[in-house]
Amino acid sequence: MDPSLRIVPASVPKTASVAETSNSLGLHDTLQYGPRTIATEMKTEGSLKDRLYNETQDNLKLTMMRNTYGLHAPMRLLMERRIVSANPHMTLLPQTNLQLDILMGRDESVEAADVFAGPLSGPPLDIRQDMEKKHRI
Amino acid sequence: MHRLKQGEVNLGTSIMAVQFDGGVVIGADSRTTTGSYIANRVTDKLTYLHDRIYCCRSGSAADTQAIADFGHYYLQMQTQVMGSAPSVLTAAAIMEKMCYQNKDQLSAGIIVAGWDKKAGPSVYNIPLGGGLFRQPWAIGGSGSTYVYGYCDATYQEGWGKDETVKFVKNTLALAMSRDGSSGGCIRMCVITEDGVERKFIPGDELPRFWEGKEVLGEATRKPLAALSTVSDVAPMAVEV
Repeated sequence: MDPSLRIVPASVPKTASVAETSNSLGLHDTLQYGPRTIATEMKTEGSLKDRLYNETQDNLKLTMMRNTYGLHAPMRLLMERRIVSANPHMTLLPQTNLQLDILMGRDESVEAADVFAGPLSGPPLDIRQDMEKKHRI
Repeated sequence: MHRLKQGEVNLGTSIMAVQFDGGVVIGADSRTTTGSYIANRVTDKLTYLHDRIYCCRSGSAADTQAIADFGHYYLQMQTQVMGSAPSVLTAAAIMEKMCYQNKDQLSAGIIVAGWDKKAGPSVYNIPLGGGLFRQPWAIGGSGSTYVYGYCDATYQEGWGKDETVKFVKNTLALAMSRDGSSGGCIRMCVITEDGVERKFIPGDELPRFWEGKEVLGEATRKPLAALSTVSDVAPMAVEV
């Protein structure tokens, strides 16, 4: 995210699109994702949803760090996070990254994500497609 | 800028900061409301940012607390890096940046005031849109609209500490007596090079001004004293 002193995510106008679930013809891929639903089409997350909110607050702290210590301070932190997230494994089902948890400061807490983090869909049907998604090809 | 959301706690307020020769005097009322319910009648709206820098908060309680928390956090980091106390301008600038960059979501009016070695005493007003204005005295909050005239007419430059304290006390008392969202007691801080002195004036010791008199129907109302010595009725003759 860009350096900014935003405290909470900005409220954006709500949009929906078929892009994420589309097949090569540009239409919704029913075979893979099931019938077309609003849930799959919603592009905008709620602005107070956990992930976006945490990201915004984190960005605020990094921006303040940049203003106080210089560009190197947040750069080093982000570099460490990226090193630790670089996972060469293929997408297995249970994935725990203790190093990332420590860096993000959630190694000593139990959150909803720890209790409810089961796999969203079943065993990987198409490993190549998962890898494509992961490496954003 | 949003109006307060439904049910949000409102710091509808009277806040004030005045600079004098050796420091600043900041003051605020103590009422926090949620609609017509007074959520807290002894609120402390004078928030610590640094040893000689305080801010007065008005507007949404949640918004101003969040901004003050981040301001405090930032100034702590600055102190570590610089090795000395930050200037009041630094504190005011960071508060202003946060108010401006979040202006579409915040409803916060803040006055930052304090003493630093370089500029001496200073008062910075950050009203609703997120602008930064340095002034010798600043008032804010919903109650401030009622006392602009009094402040303009009364303020003199060159006052000492006691006169400034009296000015702040009188202004806040007048604002609190006319504004429904301000009331309770007066909290003041006197910030000088030597330290911060807190003053508290409870509600029954507030300076009182003209409190109004019901004038309608006065001509026909008999004064209380005369009623007990009614003399136009002759005592009844009684036979023993």
